[in-house]
This record gives sequence, C-alpha cells and structure tokens, in this order.
Amino acid sequence: MNIDLSSFKNLFTAYTELRYQENNSLVIGFLKGNNTTNTRLTTSGVSARVYKDGAWGFASSPEATADGVKFVVNTATHNAAFLAAKEPQDGAPLPRSERISHRDPPPTGRSPSPEQLVDFLQTVDRYIATKYPRLASRTVVLNRMELKKTLLTSDGAYASSLYDRSLIQIGLTVEHDGAPVSLHEVFGGRGQFETLFSSPEELYPKIDQLYEHLMRKQEGVYAAAGVKTCVLAPELTGILAHEAIGHTCEADLVLGGSVVGPKLGQLVASPLVSLVDFAHTALGETCPVPIHVDDEGTTATDAVLIDQGILKGFLHNKESARHFQVPPTGNARAYRFSDEPLIRMRNTAILPGKDSLEEMIASLDDGYYLIRPSNGQADATSEFMFGVTLGYEVKNGKLGRAIKDTTISGLAFQVLQTVSAVSQEFKWLNGGMCGKKQLIPVGLGGPALKCQVMIGGR
Amino acid sequence: MPTKELNHIALDALKQAGAEKAEAVLVKTEKTELNLENGALKLIRTTIDHHLRLTALRDQRQGSILLNKINRNTLAAAVQEVLAIAASSAPDPAHDIAPYQPAKVFDKGEATPDLDLMYERFKTFIRDVTVDFPRIILLNAYLDFTRQTTFFQNSNGVDFTVNQGGYRFAVTFSAQEATGSSSFNNTGFFTQNLDQDLLDCGSLRILLAQANQGQAPRKVPEKFTGEVIITPDCLEGFLHSLLGITISDGPLIAGTSPFRHKLEQPVASPDLTLASRPVSPEIKSGYFITSDGYEAQNATIIEHGVLKTFLLSQYGANKTGLPRAVNDGGAFVVTPGDQPLAALLKGVKRGRLLNRFSGGAPSPNGDFSGVAKNSFYIEDGALQYPLCETMIAGNLIHLFQSITGISQERIDFGTALLPWIRAQGITISG
Repeated sequence: MNIDLSSFKNLFTAYTELRYQENNSLVIGFLKGNNTTNTRLTTSGVSARVYKDGAWGFASSPEATADGVKFVVNTATHNAAFLAAKEPQDGAPLPRSERISHRDPPPTGRSPSPEQLVDFLQTVDRYIATKYPRLASRTVVLNRMELKKTLLTSDGAYASSLYDRSLIQIGLTVEHDGAPVSLHEVFGGRGQFETLFSSPEELYPKIDQLYEHLMRKQEGVYAAAGVKTCVLAPELTGILAHEAIGHTCEADLVLGGSVVGPKLGQLVASPLVSLVDFAHTALGETCPVPIHVDDEGTTATDAVLIDQGILKGFLHNKESARHFQVPPTGNARAYRFSDEPLIRMRNTAILPGKDSLEEMIASLDDGYYLIRPSNGQADATSEFMFGVTLGYEVKNGKLGRAIKDTTISGLAFQVLQTVSAVSQEFKWLNGGMCGKKQLIPVGLGGPALKCQVMIGGR
Repeated sequence: MPTKELNHIALDALKQAGAEKAEAVLVKTEKTELNLENGALKLIRTTIDHHLRLTALRDQRQGSILLNKINRNTLAAAVQEVLAIAASSAPDPAHDIAPYQPAKVFDKGEATPDLDLMYERFKTFIRDVTVDFPRIILLNAYLDFTRQTTFFQNSNGVDFTVNQGGYRFAVTFSAQEATGSSSFNNTGFFTQNLDQDLLDCGSLRILLAQANQGQAPRKVPEKFTGEVIITPDCLEGFLHSLLGITISDGPLIAGTSPFRHKLEQPVASPDLTLASRPVSPEIKSGYFITSDGYEAQNATIIEHGVLKTFLLSQYGANKTGLPRAVNDGGAFVVTPGDQPLAALLKGVKRGRLLNRFSGGAPSPNGDFSGVAKNSFYIEDGALQYPLCETMIAGNLIHLFQSITGISQERIDFGTALLPWIRAQGITISG
C-alpha cells in the first residue's frame, strides 16, 4: 500500500471505517503424483463502511489510490444516506472505541522458493507412493494464506494486522471390495511454511499413522444409528464448540431468535463445561487466529460464553453490544477487502478438564471413540451436525472395529448436559475455516469429551 | 480500469519471456447489494473488483497467477513470476490450453441496476411475508445486481468476450413456534430482471407456507427404512455431490470413480434424465465459456438412466484419455416426470419430505449421512408433522438408482430447473 489512510480522515462525515486489505495465497497440489495445481493468488483493495442514522453503507474498490479511497468513502456515505432516508431506524450512536494503535510484527523468516516448495511436496508424494503401493490414489496439497489489513476509523483506531497460515493436506485412498475408501489429515497451522515444516521426513510418522487408520477403516462397519455414549477426540470437541455453541451465541443470531436468547445466566451445560471465544491468547499460548483489534477498531477481548455450565454472554460487534448494553467484544471480522465485517468467532474452545483420555475410553461399555471431523453446520435451535471420517467402536472399554464415514448430531445444550468427563489433553484443530456469507479462518479447540450424541448409520 | 487490451499485452509479454503457450483472463465485476438483517433493511453495498489470471506453459510445466492490482508495472512482474512458477512445477504433458475457435462476443442480461426498483421489490417482499406468513422470521436476505465482463484470450487465438448481468436473491428464515423459533431454512434464485415480485420466484412461497404452519416438530417414531421425497431445493446439492464423486476430474484421474467404466451404461433409474444446459434460455444465469477456454454447449449427462458424458476438463481428458466435457456442469435441468407432486406424496406408505440436508461430505463410494432439516414425516400418503432431531443415511448412487417417481412440477431457480424426486432405501432414525 502506498497511501496513508490517515490522510483521508477529512472525508469522514459520519461514523466510518476505512480499511486496506491484501490477501495472498499459494496452492500447490499433487494428485496421484501429477502436479495438477501451482498457482499464486493476490487480491487487494480498499473499503469503507459508514453508519448514518441507523443505516449502513459499504463500498469497495481494488484501486488503493487516493481516487479509490475517495470513491469508497463517498459511495459508502451515499449508500448509508440513501437507506437512512428510506428506512427510519434507531439511529443511536454506536459505542465509541478507545483511541488505539496496534501493529502486528512483520514476518521474520525467508520464504522458500517455488522450486523448494514443489520439491518438498514431491518428496512427500514419492514417499507415500513408494512405501504404500497398494493405495489407489493420494493427494498432497499445500495451501498458504496471508492476510494483511490496515484499518482507520472515525473513532481514532489505527491498526495494522498480519495473519499467515500454512497447511499441508494429505489424502489417501484405497479400494476395498471395488469401492474407494479415503482418509485425510491436515498438518500445519498459523505461521510461515518454513517455521512449520522443516523437512519432509518430519511428516512421515504421521503419514504412516494415517495409513494404519486407513487400513482399519477399509474393514470398517457402519455405525449403529441412534443415540450413543461417545468419547469425542479434541478435534471433534473443537467443532462442537464452534458449530453447536459458538454460532448460537453470535449476537446477530441471538437477535434472530437463537435458542440461547432467554438462557443468559442459566445452567445450560454440565458444570464440567466452560467455553471461551479467545481473542489472541489461550492457556498461555498464542491462539491459531490471534485477533488484537477487530475490523471495527475494537480492542479484542476474550468472550466467556459458558462458565462451569452457566451461559455468561454472547459475541458482539458494536451494534449488537449497544443493543444488549454490554461492551463490544471485538468479534467483527471481514475476510476480503470487499467484505463488510460480520460477527464472527475467533478462537473458540472448551477448556480442558481433569480426566485422562485413556480412562475415558476405558470407561465406555458400548459406544464410539470419534477421532476426526470433516465439515459441520449449526442451527439457531442449537441442533448441530458434523461429519466424522475416523472413529472406532468401543466395547467394554476396548477399541474395536473402525467405523465407516458417519455424521453425528444433537441439540447442543442437551448434549452438553450429558458431558460426564473432560480430558486434560487439549488440542487446536488445524486449518479451521467458517462460512457465514463470507469465509474466515477460525481457531477451534478443546479437550476430549465423554457425552451422548446421535450418530447416523444403518 | 483495465481493458481487454491488457490481455493482449500480457500474452505478448508471456510469449516474449519464453512461454510456449499462454492464457490471459480478465474479469471485471460490479455489484450493488441490498441487505436485510433480522427483518429490517440495514445495509447497501457497492463493490467493484477486477482480476487478471495469467497461465503459462513451458516444457510441459504449467504455472498460474491471479492478481487484481493491474497496471503495466505489476503486469511485468506478474509475467516474470508466472514463468518462475511454471518452471518450478513438475512436468506433465496433459497440461494444455484451448485450441483456436472463432472470436465471439456474448451478451446476456441488463447492464445496470435499478436501485429504486430493487428497494421497492425488497420492501414489497418484506411486507407480503409479514401479511401472508405472519409466523416467519426473516433472519437475513440480500438482493444483488451483479454485472460481470470477462475477456478470455490465449496464444492459440481464442478471443471471447462475455457480458452478463442479473439479480440474485437469497433469504434465510425461521418461524416462530410455541417454544422459540424453528430451524432456519434458506433458498434463493437468479433472475435477469425484476418484472415479478420476489415472493413469486423460485420456491419461496412453498417453503414459507410450510414453515408458517407453526406445527410443533417431533421425532420420528422409530428407526426405519423408507421412501424420501427430495425437494428441488435439496436436489441440487445431491446432484453436485453425486457428479463430484463419480464423473469429475478428481475421481476419474485418481481412477477411483465408481462410474469410470460406465459411459453409455445405466448408472441411475431409467426415470432420470439430467442435463447441464448453461447456454439454454431456460437457465437465466448460465455461462458461455468453460473455465479452460472452450465455448460452452448444453449436454445431457444422464439420459433415461444411462451415463452420456463425463464432466472432464481438458486436463482431465488428456490425463485419462476419456472425452472432454462440452461444459463445466451445473445449470442442471431435470426432465419432469409423469406424476403430479400430490400423486408422488400419495404413493408414500412411510417416509419423509426432505427439504434440506445438513450432512457430512459424502464418501467417495457415495455413502452419506446427516440431519434432515425443515422436513416432514409422511405416512399413508400424507404429510403428518414436521420433524426434528432426525437423521438419514444412505448411498447417493443407490439413491438415484432407486427413484420411484419424478414430479411434473418443477422449480425454476434461474440457475437450475428441478422437480421433486421420490426414492427409496433411506435409513431414517431419531
């Protein structure tokens, strides 16, 4: 960016957010040894959002120039005025942000060259092909993401943020009785490629483990449909925290009739359950998606949603915070320069407990140990679902046969009432993305939970 | 603002820098969008964007780059970078660009939005929903007008220009019930103009009327295997999933597709005829060129249950030796059946009307399971009550082989034209 956003403050005639953003990504993919994809994407631009008499106007342009900034501020102002004139609304002012200035440090590492990246992935692919010739197919895909933002608000916030993530997704497919059976895993997370992946060899033990699971999964059985006592591995707990609880506690969904609306202050889960949407630091470490200042210029703070089973609060932007008469939590986030900030989660996690995962499995007479999730969805009623791509039967405390792909569901607050054990082991899921009009990277984490869920099967 | 001339400059620069083959695609988009949140119009958005995608091939190695900061300086750097990316790639003789085709300009839809009319239509929709469906809660909705111009040129002489414009409406809603609100549901449609009231388009009236009944949802009485009537809103997702695991590039290149040896063979019920018709007037959105630079054509994918084409790109076709598809899929048109929807319903002894499916991604072999949302329990040929906490499980391939009826009625979404489909063999549990 070659322009100083602060030089355009004189264009602001109402509450205004002015943002410059650049998204960079790199995708290199191998499918069964074929280098199908090698592409870099970069999009950047400026946007403005204006609040006037209860109405919002937004505009964006890829031209990060003085003319581009003038266009977006003037157009957003015009849009807000057009709507305000036609739709009389509660035009009370939004809560003012404190005057803050924040800047994330720049990256320190030296990025590998395209050749080095391709060579790294090709080495991993050859390892799989050579060691596991029985596989019908395999995928090795690198996905790097970098988001750079600079925000100026009429309240006086000025913040520059930088977020990067590097993921390698490995997928293995075997044919069993003429039908394909697949399993995949994502490695990496927040940070630059070179800090997360020092050598292909470091991935080999994890790939070997993935293959072992696949060999058991190909012999897998359908789960028995119905309500079962299960132990959810930390990766699944993270999805549960996000899909089942987090979404229902987004204040815009609460205003739309989410089931949690009338439950503030009530016991909604087992007292073993505490759930927090962390801003940037959790359990003494930096979160997968650290947010220090959100895209409305609010200093991001941790939002405690459930404390020992009691519903404590919701996730807010400035407008919903004004409605509920609470401070904004810094949950307003936008994905691209052309997106307006929405109420989004950041790093949502159930806090670890005191039980051991091993003992939790040993305590199951007849149930399932569910290990790896795929996609998930939520509902304002708190009914959730998410796919499970790896799990095992548990009989008399012992792991048994693997199960085929399935889906689990339930009413979140009923499920959380059934939680009878929470593990000490805690884990963040790698590479979480949430879709709510726009995509956005999120952190999802938790311990293992012993609880009752509905499982889809035959 | 970048113009088509930029593509020619880019192609010349790529060739001069050593590319044996090159492709340049410039896309310019302008969008005007009205947004509703929790019953009230809250936001107007105006977004302008453009991006340039450059692809270079050299020594059978391919690289590509997409950028939206486009001027002569950034272009020079992008040309060097895309060649560096190509040089880093593993060689693959299957990479190629589209061959020469006569130059063509395609135009469809309006050039500019009528913001006042957009506002009036949206206000009328909100008012009509309030009056006709008083239990409905409009959670969020948007009406946008998008105008997009695409310039597609490559070093083989391909020279296409596409101008398209139209309106898209999407809404998410729930309904007030005795103890809170129902599960939310969503639908939408695409139209080239705003001649009709929004409420009269797509499946809006049907879905809103069902949700407005306010009947308390219940669980299914017991686990059973029964019939399911898949609504048009739900069908499109099922079709994309089925084709994604069977006839698209990924599973065919991997050699794991259950349909890899099934061209011109039965793969579905003889009742099913499915076409992809992106350039047909019955599809209001559609597309004129494929993502790899061919002029798109309509195609029948499944005719009376027989697989007529794969959905392979040029790369996928080169890789597998199978024929390239004449389009990119989507724009689905399913031939209507011979029974009215009421007769389909009457024929169900025990089953469900599936309005929305919320489930995990299907397995490569077609197995799926998930939650049936906004759905109804059917017994003795009649809708009994809305369902909650109900899961379904089955196999997508078997599902489309087990069709027992297709409705005469279809919903026109502007992006697809789809009937109700009745099939059997789904496990239903709660």
